Amino acid sequence: MAISPRARLSLLIAVPLAVVALVVAVAVVALDGGPAPEAPAEQARPAVAEVSTDGIAYADTLVVYNGRSHYGDEKVFRDFEAATGVRLELRGGTGPELFERLRREGTDTPADVLVTTDLANLWRAENAGLLQGVTSPRLRDQVPAGLHDVDGNWWAVSTRLRVPVVSTERVPPGAVTSYESLADARFRGRTCLRTSNNEYNQSLVADMIVKRGPDATERLLRSWMANEPQIINSDGEMLAMIAGGGCDVGLANHYYLGRALLENPGFPVAPAWPDQQGAGAHANVSGVGVVAGSDAVPTAVALMEWLTSPPAQEQIISGSEFAANPAVPPPAHISGWANVRIDPIDGQHTGPALQQAVEMMLRVGWT
Amino acid sequence: VDVARPARSTARRQGSGWAVLGVVVALGVAGPLVALPASFVIADVDAVTLTLLPPALGRSVLLGLGVGVGTLALGGSLAVLVSFYDFPGRRVAEWALVLPLAIPGYVLVFVIVGQFGYTDPLQSTLFGGVVALPGLRGPAGAIGVLTAVLYPYVYVLGRSAFLGQSRQSLEAARSLGHSHLGAVWTVAVPLARPALAGGVALAVMEALADFGAVNLLGYQALTDAIYRVWYGAFDTAAALQLATVLVGLALLMIVLERTLRGRARYHQTLAHGDAVLPRRLTGWRAGLACAFPALVLLLVVAFPVAQLTAWSVETIVAGRVADRLGEAALSTLLLAVSAAAVAVCTATAVAYGQRVRPSRVGAVAARLAAAGYAVPGAVIAVAVYVPLVWLDRRLVAAAGNLVGVEIGLLFTGTVLGLVGAYVVRFHAQAYSAVESRMARVHPSLDDAARALGADRARVLTDVHLPLLWPGVVTAALLVIVEVVKELPATALLRPLGRDTLAIMTWEATKDTRFDTAALPALLIVLVGLVPVVVLVRLWGRPSRATDAAPPLPQA
Repeated sequence: MAISPRARLSLLIAVPLAVVALVVAVAVVALDGGPAPEAPAEQARPAVAEVSTDGIAYADTLVVYNGRSHYGDEKVFRDFEAATGVRLELRGGTGPELFERLRREGTDTPADVLVTTDLANLWRAENAGLLQGVTSPRLRDQVPAGLHDVDGNWWAVSTRLRVPVVSTERVPPGAVTSYESLADARFRGRTCLRTSNNEYNQSLVADMIVKRGPDATERLLRSWMANEPQIINSDGEMLAMIAGGGCDVGLANHYYLGRALLENPGFPVAPAWPDQQGAGAHANVSGVGVVAGSDAVPTAVALMEWLTSPPAQEQIISGSEFAANPAVPPPAHISGWANVRIDPIDGQHTGPALQQAVEMMLRVGWT
Repeated sequence: VDVARPARSTARRQGSGWAVLGVVVALGVAGPLVALPASFVIADVDAVTLTLLPPALGRSVLLGLGVGVGTLALGGSLAVLVSFYDFPGRRVAEWALVLPLAIPGYVLVFVIVGQFGYTDPLQSTLFGGVVALPGLRGPAGAIGVLTAVLYPYVYVLGRSAFLGQSRQSLEAARSLGHSHLGAVWTVAVPLARPALAGGVALAVMEALADFGAVNLLGYQALTDAIYRVWYGAFDTAAALQLATVLVGLALLMIVLERTLRGRARYHQTLAHGDAVLPRRLTGWRAGLACAFPALVLLLVVAFPVAQLTAWSVETIVAGRVADRLGEAALSTLLLAVSAAAVAVCTATAVAYGQRVRPSRVGAVAARLAAAGYAVPGAVIAVAVYVPLVWLDRRLVAAAGNLVGVEIGLLFTGTVLGLVGAYVVRFHAQAYSAVESRMARVHPSLDDAARALGADRARVLTDVHLPLLWPGVVTAALLVIVEVVKELPATALLRPLGRDTLAIMTWEATKDTRFDTAALPALLIVLVGLVPVVVLVRLWGRPSRATDAAPPLPQA
């Protein structure tokens, strides 16, 4: 095959072009391989901003980093677009991925709004100065005090319980009554835990450190580890594992089970609500905040107000979560779970204990 | 002599130019990886690293050894079988055995787990649970799955080496009293050693870099550990340190491969009608020969594809097809083609630079560049991402100050950054294909062309590229297949909101929504099949390809 002069010419252009691009990359690495400059530190952050969304001129576009992209509630965002004419650019990813991305992008981020799961992700973003505090009458009206940051950096859109789940076929009712039950010798080799890099677990442990103290928490974790748990990748996989007979007891977010039961009412796994005579079941949040540096704050707040309003909340929780807005009852198929005694996560103190939690989990051998 | 002198000095200058270009490109590709060891200097080795590193390293080494032995045995024996024996179905097996290349490990895991559940069905049901079989979740599962999808690297390179061998050497061995198999074993296999070693090295590097399969199987190898410390503890220093160890393993693989290859250079000078004639098998031998590839293909290709198709049809019938599936398919394809184009350029530049003027520096640079292949996509993504963010910030600032224009981030979270990561990651694939093809072009051809007055650029475009053509196409196709399957780097660097098929599959698989994951997974396999089929078609005409090549001067 002969190469035409034209093809040869383009090759001779393309190769050097590629080289130049790569040389630039090398130069950049050589000059500065370190992390990008962090966004302004916490103390430099302005106080919570009171925002009014009445009669505002909406921004044309909002960029939303959406950590709930696989929760199937994108229609909520489409409804907002239809009602306001704002174009929402939804960019999906897991909570940790979005945090890492925001952190790298710093002040140059295109994001206006961060929607993410778990207090750990919200707190990490807040702590890195990636969010800005906002509040509005409607937000205060729709989200109760315990479910938003005191400085308005994040507002919950839903709550979820992280609780023991048990096989209905192999575990008698009443055998699991607390988080301590996962250490029960009868379940030796028969427990499942999700990996310790999962933020749900990290938040649970950090919250325990805050409420029970680090020593008691570490004792509890060691007793869990003594049962030689199988380490599982996801809550969904854990439920499948229990249903399939791979283990008897696990620890999962309640909505995974809600979804499984909605699909198959005979699914052989049940929640075992913990500490119902005591503190209650650990309740975490998923939430939303305005990204620091956004130039469309009022529109962003309008989106947050929409997400926490009853019509949007009903859609969001249809995946078996509980609404942040107390006016919205749980979806019908889990209405029986509405009266569970809950232990809301400590929104202000759990975050700072996260690093300690991560280290403790690795120390006790929770991989 | 006087006339020749200026020509020679010109040659040296031009040759140096290409050699320098080759080194620069190689360092460009290796750049982000060279920066990794700095993580040990900059940050202390903390408790996180110390806790996670030893077991993860052990698991990775075990995985690499297992996959190396497995792919050599499986891929090597299949290559021997279809190259030196004729049996019913050989024509089909010949190309079909490449098909597992299109199936990512994580898709295979997802099919197995989706079908049988998480609870090691064989373990509990076979022999009434009396005999403890190695579990899917243990090392055996990870090695088995990755061997099943990675053996084609050994098979492909082994077979093309066997095809390039001359009949005479085999006949010489026969005349010395060897049986057919004996001749293959003592002559053909050793001659193909570089190709087989190259294939094993690629397979092992890919296994070490695999994240999807080991993650889904809960086998916490190094890649998994890196991902965990990065996204669980946000301990970037520890992640970079673990990544450095992994790069070290990759470099070790490359050195090992080179050592195995020795200093031997086998220039095949294949003339017309010189190729090996496979021996015809009959009776039960033919049956066995037929059954072996058939079984492999049934387990690795037919069953998973059928299962994926069934789930996909279910999804379509139930009307639960995700909205943006078409868009995701298109993005995936565009990304793959762009990355392949750039990777072919870098591979050719590095290989040619090293050929024109072989040097120690050039060789080291070329090997460094190839190490990207063994580094998990997630780490490459961040290694590329950090400098790109830095560059973007300065560009934004410069545009604002100098021109007064507000530009967005050019590289970060755009296709450019992602393609850059792909090139760093898959350069080795392209390089290996281009270089091994270039090694088959006899150096005397260069000299002949040079003697006739062609400059180096002309030797490359007019002499090498026509001969390299199959190598270049192979390189591009290998990169395309890889990009379509690639997961972690895509997850980190893709323009957010623009899903690829792998992302869709992954997100659904994570949540064990198997029916949702099936359709994009099936598309990944199908898209991946296209280049594999083209590759196979290219091979399907070995005689014509040989005819097209100019007869080489016999030394």
